[in-house]
Amino acid sequence: MNEKSELEQNIAQLIVDTLNLEEVDADEIEPDQPLFNEGLGLDSIDALELALAISKRYGCKIKSDEENARVFSSLRALSDYVQTNGATK
Amino acid sequence: MRRFIRQDECVSTSTHKLSKLLSHSRPDDPIVWWCNKLITRDKFLGDVYFVASQLPATQYAINMCNDRYLFLVAFAAVLVARQTNLLPPNRAKTVLEDIIESYDDCYYLSDELIDDLDLQQHKISLPAFQNELHRAGALKKGQGDDLNDAPIDIPKIADKHIAAITFTSGSTGRPQANKKNWGGLVLGALLAQSRFGIKDGEAVSIIATVPPQHMYGLETSVMLPLLTGSLVYSGATFYPEDIRNAVANMPEPRILITTPVHLNTCNELLVDLPAVKFIISATAPLATCIAETAEVKFQTQVMEIFGCTETGSIASRRTLDGDDWQLYDGFKINRFDDKAFISGAYLAEPVALADLVEVESDERFKIVGRCADMVNIAGKRGSLSDLNQKLLGIEGVRDGVFYLPDIEGATLGTTKERLVAFVVAPELDEKKIISSLSVMVDPVFLPRPLYKVNSLPRTQSSKLPRNRLTEFYNTLRKT
Repeated sequence: MNEKSELEQNIAQLIVDTLNLEEVDADEIEPDQPLFNEGLGLDSIDALELALAISKRYGCKIKSDEENARVFSSLRALSDYVQTNGATK
Repeated sequence: MRRFIRQDECVSTSTHKLSKLLSHSRPDDPIVWWCNKLITRDKFLGDVYFVASQLPATQYAINMCNDRYLFLVAFAAVLVARQTNLLPPNRAKTVLEDIIESYDDCYYLSDELIDDLDLQQHKISLPAFQNELHRAGALKKGQGDDLNDAPIDIPKIADKHIAAITFTSGSTGRPQANKKNWGGLVLGALLAQSRFGIKDGEAVSIIATVPPQHMYGLETSVMLPLLTGSLVYSGATFYPEDIRNAVANMPEPRILITTPVHLNTCNELLVDLPAVKFIISATAPLATCIAETAEVKFQTQVMEIFGCTETGSIASRRTLDGDDWQLYDGFKINRFDDKAFISGAYLAEPVALADLVEVESDERFKIVGRCADMVNIAGKRGSLSDLNQKLLGIEGVRDGVFYLPDIEGATLGTTKERLVAFVVAPELDEKKIISSLSVMVDPVFLPRPLYKVNSLPRTQSSKLPRNRLTEFYNTLRKT
């Protein structure tokens, strides 16, 4: 299912805005598309910026552990994480 | 002509033993925190001998271990086996291939093997049982198969042994090799120890966010702990929460080794940190405001190290003390023509700095800018001409150039600065070009965005001066 929830749409916009992805339309980011390396082609520096933006907007802290190793694997995965751990929606 | 001091005049020509480095520690002293447990000196040495005995019998090991402890064990094991660690500047496939082409007798050494590599690969594994490591130690002492509790011998490595070769991208398009001999690495660690006031035998905890494969991480999280017997953290240190967790897990006093990007993110995300004696930042100049915030928030001092892959770390300052950098003891700086040269300590010959500096004295200098060819994106140094050559080498690309825009209001060391590229390639789309670049360069240098254009604004003599590129860029942005 490729329809995006409101949260996913908001996060897609957050990604584009935070990382200054001028040529990317938030609407074009597919929920299951990889965010890193292929797909959107983000790198580790982007991961830090995003972690910062997500934390500020949604209040959830991201850290490296087994459980959330895949939190940035796709928009959907990120949105699920925020849904579960975020303080604000 | 000034006479430059050679490395063998600074240190005795006798073999540098690791025992000099670990001499203040006892066999049961912890030296690494790894996987929720403390690794003692003896366990570490046992692991080193075990791994050394398993290594392929060739001269060069491309050490790509991801885990810091495994990198440390692999690094030392390679030395014990009288081999040299090759340390690529990034994980790009073609860079790796270039290095493999230049070193006939090499293999890939890591904790994670990779696909599609036409080269022998060796996966590091540690001894599973305690008696295995004792056996390795006992064999080393020539005591046959007896299991015993005697401390494990500390290996001796010759000063002149090439411990590592680091690589930089230069304007030639091929990686430039920088040989680091063991004596030089040890001396570098001694100089850092002296500068940062780490006493012999002082058990300092070192938490680093930088990879051990690069000079900065090698010096601070591999050589410095080996020298002082400090406790080094081996675990995730990527997100601010990871860093906080790492610091909390380690005994005081603690030193955090990091970069402007990471420090800035910590400032933004962390309310506080457990006490750190000081924070060291390097890889790019640190903005005063970031240092200021960190000092107040984390109740600590923020220091910086200046250096480069070719020279290693050579100078330091406390950011808030001002613009002057102080060279480590034994180094000297001189101007010659329009370049600054560093000499002394372990350098075999003077090395030109890529940065534009104002020389204040032969030991102090200020940084005023960068040579036009060099860029620094989030702490990674790159050569524009190297990047351009790689771009032009892509089949289907008729012309192209990388450009780093001036970004208004960007704080140094934050991540807003990214390269853009203008490319003439009628038959290729942006994704294809970026995909081709991605196997050749570090991900941070990938253009964002890549503009496909009909032609570049070259002058009559085919040059691309910066002002033309700036105008070109501004026009493209408006459309």
